Amino acid sequence: MTPLETALSPLGQLTAFGIILALGVLGGQLATRSIRLPAITGYLLSGLVIGPHGLNLVSQSMIDASRPFITLAFGLALFELGRRVDFRWLVRERALAATALICMTAGFSALYWLLWQVGVPPLESACIAALALASSPPALLEILRETHAEGQVSERMVAFAGLCNLVAPTAFSLTAGLALYEAGSDVRQFLMHPVLQLVASILTGLLAGLASIRLNRWIGATRREAQEILLFALIAITVGICTRSNLLTSIALLTFGLSTRNLRRGYTVSSPYLMRHSALLLVALFVVIGSQLSLPNLASHLYLAPLFVLLRLAIHILGWWLMAPFNGISRRNGALLGMSLTPMAGGAGILLLGQDTPPFVFQAGSLLIALFCLTELLGPILTRFALNRAGETREE
Amino acid sequence: MLEFSPSQPLTLGVELELMIVNRRDYNLTRGSDDLLNLLARHPHTFDIKPEITQGMIEIATGIHHRTDTLSTELRSIRSLLLECAEKLNIGLAGGGAHPFQRWGEQRIYPKERYLLVSELYGYLAKQFTVYGQHIHIGCPDGDHAVRLTHYLSRQIPHFIALSASSPFYQGADTQFQTSRLASVNAFPLSGSMPCIDTWEAFNRYFGQMQELGIVASMKDFYWDIRPKPEYGTVEIRICDTPLTIDQPSLLAAYAQLLAKHCFDSGWNDMAPERALTYSYNRFQACRFGLDGILVNPEDGSRISILEDLLATFDQLKGVATELDGDASLAALREHVLKRQSDSQWLRDRYRESGSLSDVVRRQSELWMYDTSN
Repeated sequence: MTPLETALSPLGQLTAFGIILALGVLGGQLATRSIRLPAITGYLLSGLVIGPHGLNLVSQSMIDASRPFITLAFGLALFELGRRVDFRWLVRERALAATALICMTAGFSALYWLLWQVGVPPLESACIAALALASSPPALLEILRETHAEGQVSERMVAFAGLCNLVAPTAFSLTAGLALYEAGSDVRQFLMHPVLQLVASILTGLLAGLASIRLNRWIGATRREAQEILLFALIAITVGICTRSNLLTSIALLTFGLSTRNLRRGYTVSSPYLMRHSALLLVALFVVIGSQLSLPNLASHLYLAPLFVLLRLAIHILGWWLMAPFNGISRRNGALLGMSLTPMAGGAGILLLGQDTPPFVFQAGSLLIALFCLTELLGPILTRFALNRAGETREE
Repeated sequence: MLEFSPSQPLTLGVELELMIVNRRDYNLTRGSDDLLNLLARHPHTFDIKPEITQGMIEIATGIHHRTDTLSTELRSIRSLLLECAEKLNIGLAGGGAHPFQRWGEQRIYPKERYLLVSELYGYLAKQFTVYGQHIHIGCPDGDHAVRLTHYLSRQIPHFIALSASSPFYQGADTQFQTSRLASVNAFPLSGSMPCIDTWEAFNRYFGQMQELGIVASMKDFYWDIRPKPEYGTVEIRICDTPLTIDQPSLLAAYAQLLAKHCFDSGWNDMAPERALTYSYNRFQACRFGLDGILVNPEDGSRISILEDLLATFDQLKGVATELDGDASLAALREHVLKRQSDSQWLRDRYRESGSLSDVVRRQSELWMYDTSN
């Protein structure tokens, strides 16, 4: 037990959550006031400093105690990301889908090749490369909220991230299935486990979406507060079911968000204040993510981790630079869009929830944590920089 | 000294300010730059430009003699805008004011004039995120322009009632048919042109204001109607942007018929007493639309705007035939008799869904696709 934990133990889980939140907010303020870093970087740094790998003011058990709150925050961000993917637009605007396909294919191939070249086993390489396909929904959305960014770079960034967040967990799950097969399971298990998991996750999200649309229509738009509380409740239920049933939380929540955006009468589900009201939970989420980062891990992958992150960044920038004219934006904004995608998805899932994670991934855990250290700490700074340079942010 | 560039009498031009909304919750979005950049890649000769805040865009037609060609040009501009807006996944909508945007969240377009306006007028500049239709009528000289400006001032309530499309503002029903004009009224140089009866007198007035350092150009007057010497026109600035692509042409047709009547009849009644009821009648139109009551400054008699409009339509029958504008006049009459007001349409949509987001979604579909589901 840490001294703080000993002192606080009679006050329970809520106090632990309050401490995490308070330190996070103060860290965020320090970061924004002193060196004008994004608040999110301040939350992460606070977590890093007070967490088990830092001053150990907040122990793993205190972090575990706040797990329900941060799991909900993770779910909220994924739902909101799904809400921002408009399939009708993607059908019309094929350049965006083509750009996503190109970036994902090139990104996966290049990152897999890099890891394989330095001796990481093929399955681990494939899993890490699959994870690296997507950008972090909470980080991107929080930067958008903080900077009030609006415009084509922002819109395409979240739509692209939404697509990649659909593909990355699917690829990851299939690779995990392959791992089971290699570990001696029969071929049915290799095929059925990830496929069933995927189908069940999509169905769960779809059902939540349909329920949300039906119930929102019944409540009526004049009772916006009741609608918003219901949305929170349905997101919490969906996250809970996925966690309990070992489903793909990210796929289920994205499908939930996607269905409310794209299904008939989905417009009855309005969530303009969802992210604003979720700010409290998101602060806790970032502090806890920060607490799980470990700088010594980064030191032990001093060359590979930066190389990996740079290669991923270069592919995003190059891919978007090349495809920018087809997307109706300038090449400069295309390159900035590629840069904005730096925060890597999977951090919350792997570091905090531990779900969907085959055991062999933990063998590469040290490298993954080093990657998350870099992308979580540098990513939001680059995202804000890119949106700012694209002229899409609104300073307060 | 302002030179009035003569133009062919009764020629027409229209400017429309349009909302740019996102397709997520249909709030205003910062989209004018992206839209203009994309439009620049399409070969076209249309006049499409930014407005004071970045959730606005302005389109303008060329010079027309007839409203059917004007309508055709407006539809061509819309086709181009539609192509670009769909690529960017943004919506465009008519209407005089966005129903639930927050003025403090709007961003001034980074153009020298708008930045100067913002610096001078402070929050009024962002509150000016409202959307109007301007109609230009060609005049042969400055004296005709001054006369026409005074003549059309009497019909201002008509234009307000025919175009009113901003019943909601900042998330609430204002109970007005148009709330947009309240934003315009806040500017110190808003209202109506002073009682000046010749172009020479107008020039003296302008010179005095310039010497006092109050104005630098005609753009500094935010009047409901003003002469536009560089174009050789009178510009009617009172209308809300209608919800449909066709209504602007009808309003332009009405302005053209009135102008012909003014010129042909040699109207010259510019008595200062006419200004007595200007603001009151204007308020009646903003608040009650076609049901507003107009006060006649000469004898104090009262008449509803609807009745006054129908009486004016009767007066214009002759000039309508001469201008081949019978169909437009009939359409206007039908519009009035059926009480087809845009503000009522918006209120009806709100009553159906209870959601202002949904109202904007439907008004955007109406402007872009002539349909609303």
